[in-house]
Amino acid sequence: MNSSFGIKYIVQFILFVALQILLMDNLVLFSTGFCFIYVAFLLFLPIGINKVWLLFLGFLVGFTVDIFYDTMGIHAAASVLLAYLRTHLLNLLTPRDGYDTNDAANIHIMGWRWYLVYTFTLLLFHHLAVFFLETISFGTVWYTLLKVVASTLFTGIVLIIVQLLFFSSKRASRT
Amino acid sequence: MRNLFAFIYRFRAFLLFVLLEVLCVFLIVRYNTYQGAAFFNSATKYAGQVLEFQSGVTDYFRLASINNTLARENALLREELLDFRKQSITDSTQSLDTTYYASADTLKQYPYLLHAGRVINNSVRRTNNYLTLSIGAADGVKPGMGVIASNGTVGRIKTVSEKYATVTSLLHSQLLISAKIKKSNTFGTIKWTGGNYRLANLEYIPLHVKPAKGDTIVTSGFNTVFPEGIMVGTISSVEKEMDKSFYTIKVKLAVDFAQLSYVYVVENPYKAERDTLEQNAGILPDEQ
Repeated sequence: MNSSFGIKYIVQFILFVALQILLMDNLVLFSTGFCFIYVAFLLFLPIGINKVWLLFLGFLVGFTVDIFYDTMGIHAAASVLLAYLRTHLLNLLTPRDGYDTNDAANIHIMGWRWYLVYTFTLLLFHHLAVFFLETISFGTVWYTLLKVVASTLFTGIVLIIVQLLFFSSKRASRT
Repeated sequence: MRNLFAFIYRFRAFLLFVLLEVLCVFLIVRYNTYQGAAFFNSATKYAGQVLEFQSGVTDYFRLASINNTLARENALLREELLDFRKQSITDSTQSLDTTYYASADTLKQYPYLLHAGRVINNSVRRTNNYLTLSIGAADGVKPGMGVIASNGTVGRIKTVSEKYATVTSLLHSQLLISAKIKKSNTFGTIKWTGGNYRLANLEYIPLHVKPAKGDTIVTSGFNTVFPEGIMVGTISSVEKEMDKSFYTIKVKLAVDFAQLSYVYVVENPYKAERDTLEQNAGILPDEQ
């Protein structure tokens, strides 16, 4: 936990949560596509982060969104699930020669294929958790699944746009 | 013992994961009922301030429609006022001595109190929707009160803080409102099941009545939350299914929840008295 970690990721936390509450809350496509952009905070954390820390951060960010959405516990549960799965997925996706020290979950450094698999897998689990905890019942399972798929695509595309716009490719890219 | 600690340390991430998930499930079960006080919600001071700031910006884009609604409401109220004036001129019961005339119904003497509040947070597309109002305990709002807009029912107060309150919207899978068909006085229950935010179901209407498309649905007044006769919506379709003893009725809600800007919290000054009376009599509180 060096100081640059603190500032950069605290800013990201506030930025993504503010975007979620102020903007994305009102942006729902065809009443099925939701965008949970706050998840980006968890996805963009450094690869080598302590997994215990990660779980706490997942709970924190989910809980903050819950307060504004009045959905006590739903987003927290989904975010903790995402934080837990993230560590394992990163192990699965390890490149042949392991992660470099300056590797981050960045589309320019890790490449398109790695990034797409990483993002969409985690988003799918997160959105499944959110929408099924919301309805609890399996009565409207097809409608809920439609919401999950549409929202995963929507959030995923927004995250790619965020990556392309705001994360510079200046740092040495992996070959 | 050392092995135990080593074990815990080795699986610390998994154990913490399970612990946090259990905590989340506890929170969901404990606080996600349609009513019941949550400590953390959008009515808390800081969350309320953020939401108020947001609606302070977005409200400018809706000023025209807000003005329209308020003007229409003014016109309606003025019309009613004229009616009352006309009635009081032709009707002389007010001036009668109480020796000859005893007023029978206390509800007519003591009307409901309304507190106006601005909507600062709203949603219509989730399975369980809530609103946040910039009016709170300091203005006399208490949990459980009904909320209406100028053209119909909106929901019930869930939690209050000093300056803010959260409302369980009618668009909540667990909120029920006791309603009746105005024409025939048959009462049923209004329930929203998700999906389209303009349509709700009217349940428990028995097969012997003849509801028709376009009939008006109003609140029944059978509980202490809403006054009698508040508009809920109009029937948009009636279906008679083979193996059911009730109609399947869709109701087009009178309130467009996506356009809400100002609402009224209904205070019933006799709520406590009526509730304790019914409770002492052993009558279980009806679904709201």
